[in-house]
Amino acid sequence: MPKCTINGKEVEVKEGTSIIEAMQQSGDRIAHYCWHPGLSVAGVCRLCMVEIEGNPRVQIACNTMVTEGMKINNTSEKVRDAVKWGLDFHLINHPLDCPICDQAGECGLQDQYMEYGKYDPEMAEHKQKKHKVVDLGPTVVLDSERCILCSRCVRFTEEVSKTNELGLFNRGDRTEIGTHDGMPLDNKYSLNTVDICPVGALTSKDFRFRQRVWYLKDAETICNGCSTGCNVKVYYNKEGFFRVKPVYNEKVNGYWMCDEGRDIYKFVNREHRLLKAQVRNASGWTEMTAGAAAKNASEVLKNTSGDSLALVLTAQYTVEEFDAIVSTFVNEFKTKKVFFWINNKETFDSFDGLLLRGDKNPNTKGLLKVLEKHGITATWADLSQGIASGSIKTVVVAGPENQVVFPDFAERVKELSKAHNLIWLQAGKNDALMALAGNVWLIPTKTFVEKDGTFINQAGLEQKFKKVTTVVSEALTLTEAALLLAGKNLAIPTTAQPFMPTNQRADQVELEARKKNEFVFRRGSL
Amino acid sequence: MAEVKILTEFYHLPEYQTLAGYKAKGGYETLPKALKMQPQQIIDEVKASGLRGRGGAGFPTGMKWGFLPKNGEPRYLLCNADEGEPGTFKDRMMMERAPHQLIEGMIISAFAIGSNKGYIYVRGEYVYPIECLYKAIKEAYAAGLLGKNILGSGFDFDLDVYRGAGAYICGEETGMISSLEGLKGQPKLKPPFPAVQGYLRKPTIVNNVETLAAVTYIIKDGAQTYRKHGTEKSAGTKLFSVSGNVMKPGNYEVPLGYPLMDLIMKECGGMKPGRRLKAIIPGGSSAPVLTAEEVAKANLDYESLAGLGTMLGSGAVIVMDDSQCMVDMLGVLTHFYAHESCGQCTPCREGTGWLDKILHSILEGRGRLQDIDLLIKVADNMKGKTICALSDAAALPVLSFVTKFRDEFEFYVREGRSKVKGTTYAEMHH
Repeated sequence: MPKCTINGKEVEVKEGTSIIEAMQQSGDRIAHYCWHPGLSVAGVCRLCMVEIEGNPRVQIACNTMVTEGMKINNTSEKVRDAVKWGLDFHLINHPLDCPICDQAGECGLQDQYMEYGKYDPEMAEHKQKKHKVVDLGPTVVLDSERCILCSRCVRFTEEVSKTNELGLFNRGDRTEIGTHDGMPLDNKYSLNTVDICPVGALTSKDFRFRQRVWYLKDAETICNGCSTGCNVKVYYNKEGFFRVKPVYNEKVNGYWMCDEGRDIYKFVNREHRLLKAQVRNASGWTEMTAGAAAKNASEVLKNTSGDSLALVLTAQYTVEEFDAIVSTFVNEFKTKKVFFWINNKETFDSFDGLLLRGDKNPNTKGLLKVLEKHGITATWADLSQGIASGSIKTVVVAGPENQVVFPDFAERVKELSKAHNLIWLQAGKNDALMALAGNVWLIPTKTFVEKDGTFINQAGLEQKFKKVTTVVSEALTLTEAALLLAGKNLAIPTTAQPFMPTNQRADQVELEARKKNEFVFRRGSL
Repeated sequence: MAEVKILTEFYHLPEYQTLAGYKAKGGYETLPKALKMQPQQIIDEVKASGLRGRGGAGFPTGMKWGFLPKNGEPRYLLCNADEGEPGTFKDRMMMERAPHQLIEGMIISAFAIGSNKGYIYVRGEYVYPIECLYKAIKEAYAAGLLGKNILGSGFDFDLDVYRGAGAYICGEETGMISSLEGLKGQPKLKPPFPAVQGYLRKPTIVNNVETLAAVTYIIKDGAQTYRKHGTEKSAGTKLFSVSGNVMKPGNYEVPLGYPLMDLIMKECGGMKPGRRLKAIIPGGSSAPVLTAEEVAKANLDYESLAGLGTMLGSGAVIVMDDSQCMVDMLGVLTHFYAHESCGQCTPCREGTGWLDKILHSILEGRGRLQDIDLLIKVADNMKGKTICALSDAAALPVLSFVTKFRDEFEFYVREGRSKVKGTTYAEMHH
């Protein structure tokens, strides 16, 4: 464990630690673009300059290992001057149009300018013109003139996705990032290149120009796109959710997440949600609040307990919710007819070797644990048989939040709708459900960003997450729904929005319907 | 003192290109002797000879070989025949006139370092030298001098020629390794050094054509004989490729320590009639320029030139007479480096382009007086800040030209034309 001195403080680090890592450990700020802890060292931006006692020249911190007794400094005039010039070299051909750049507000170059660059520019020559709005593939756009050639994206495709689509082309200040001929940037992890781009050169087609980042709030949660359970940050404001980015977790996802997972913000937004409960009987559909619909359904359940009642669960809810609803069915309704709806049996166990798993549910392990705890052994065949024979008369379904990953949705609706009463708890709108005849209750539920809870990922790791905000105020959690279905009351103050939770954060924002700016949206879609 | 022909003694003989012609003059007589020696003995002999790399850096060859790990891991010998520095053309002559001399030197060197595979990395434009090498390698294989069990010694060595695509930076050893690996020719971070982790991440020694050819002579006549030439710290002879405004430009082999003025005035026949020596770049275009006064004090060895703030480099001596406009000359050099920067490290990628733009603003009559100091500031901040030395190679000429011939730059900015030629850039070049 070598000890070194960084800016006068003694720091002890692990053998093989680079100076830049040691500085991060000690909390000292250091300029850098090309270094990324999840990638190999390139040493090309030349910004992480430090002075090492006894060495006449400044050194890069990313490729210099700490040795015993090393005295390191990055606050001296010599280093500041080197970094200032390093910044100048970066800026001479970089456009200075931050107000219209998609990365404005979260750009490394802007941060560096504020730290080192507040001086009069000396560049009087014309900038080197590079390509603008280069369509790299289905997900990413390159504005080459902004690129500072840190090569993070190239290294990502070489080292992480191992797809090698990107390369550095040409030489000198004509160098540009690009895709190899006939090979678009089209892999399952392509949007990580946008995350690691320190400037606004690589932009996500999905997010590009849709929001200024300073109008967004963010919060950490767990991705519910598959059973890996990547740690993510969601970005949102009053208009809705806009993007998802990975958060480092060494045990789960490292620095990365897949492109599929980045879509999970979409089904959360109001335009895809079931905003009010819909109840159908012989006279047609009636709109109700979620709580009122659950209370209404409880009247049916009161008379339908035991083996004539079944519960179908998708593995998209929290451990706490599963526990609450299964307990209710076992203890209150005296039925163990609880069924696990597996969405894609053929590909359920597949894994791409990096993060993506065939099990597109965040909490399969959590559901199985709860079912085991309650001694549930029922199989789907029992359900099919029960519905077909008429022994199962009422079915309660906790349908998927993320319907896209349930290719058999319409088929299952058809099968389950044969029951006399169908009570369907679901976050999103669905045409197949709205087309049903008979006795149907459609009750809106909350999504993963609207509640606290726990997911257990494929490796058995329990990950707790906190509520981010509320999108559909009156939507219920399964826990709340279970109480109401059992005929109990919720201790929630009745206001204009009767099911508003009481545990709102001080900085809670209420989502409003998006006010579309068509011009901005057209730009965003290229 | 005059030319001493150790390497180039038979270069005037056309048959020296062939195996038979080379053998007729004692070629491949050293190889059996070397193969009977212990590899360490050869390394010790090379160390004792004081041979320093003839590619430009001047690093002691034996010491470089000594950095190889001792674990017997497979290792490679790469011959650097990229020769991309403006003004340099000595290796070309050696490959054309005496390819077997290089091959023999490579076999001996490979035996010493324990390598069974070697490549000669040649710049792609060198079509004729490549043909000469191909022919010679074919002859050597046919004669059992390459391949399995060379001369019954039990030592195997395979040799190939690799044609580069013509990038200056592929002459830098790690850039060359990248190129040989099929990647873009970009230098790699050091450490790890190639001797520890080089081609295909295996230990690799990269030596220049002239260095490897000299090994044969060191083993043939012994280190002490070799050391009789040159100075104590700069042993042996060296090939100098002289270009520019002299009567007889060409390659000259002289002992290290030879006076630079003698090389110009005696070997190269002096300046063109009616012209005065103005300046010399002594070691390839990346070396700082010397004024005529400094040239008079300069000897062609590593220490003497370092003492004058410049370097021996690859031995490419570029001579300028009093008709040369230094602003125009620097414009040419700077444009070359801006074109050849691999684009990897920011100070080099952006700095070389910036220098080129500033100089061309001056040359095209758009310069500002502050641009002269800006040239110095930009160059100063490129120096020593990048993975390889291309950034320094671009910066050093700028610093030396602007410092030593500032009056020409100031005149150009003020008048919009050359002080020396009296014409504008457009008039000079069209």
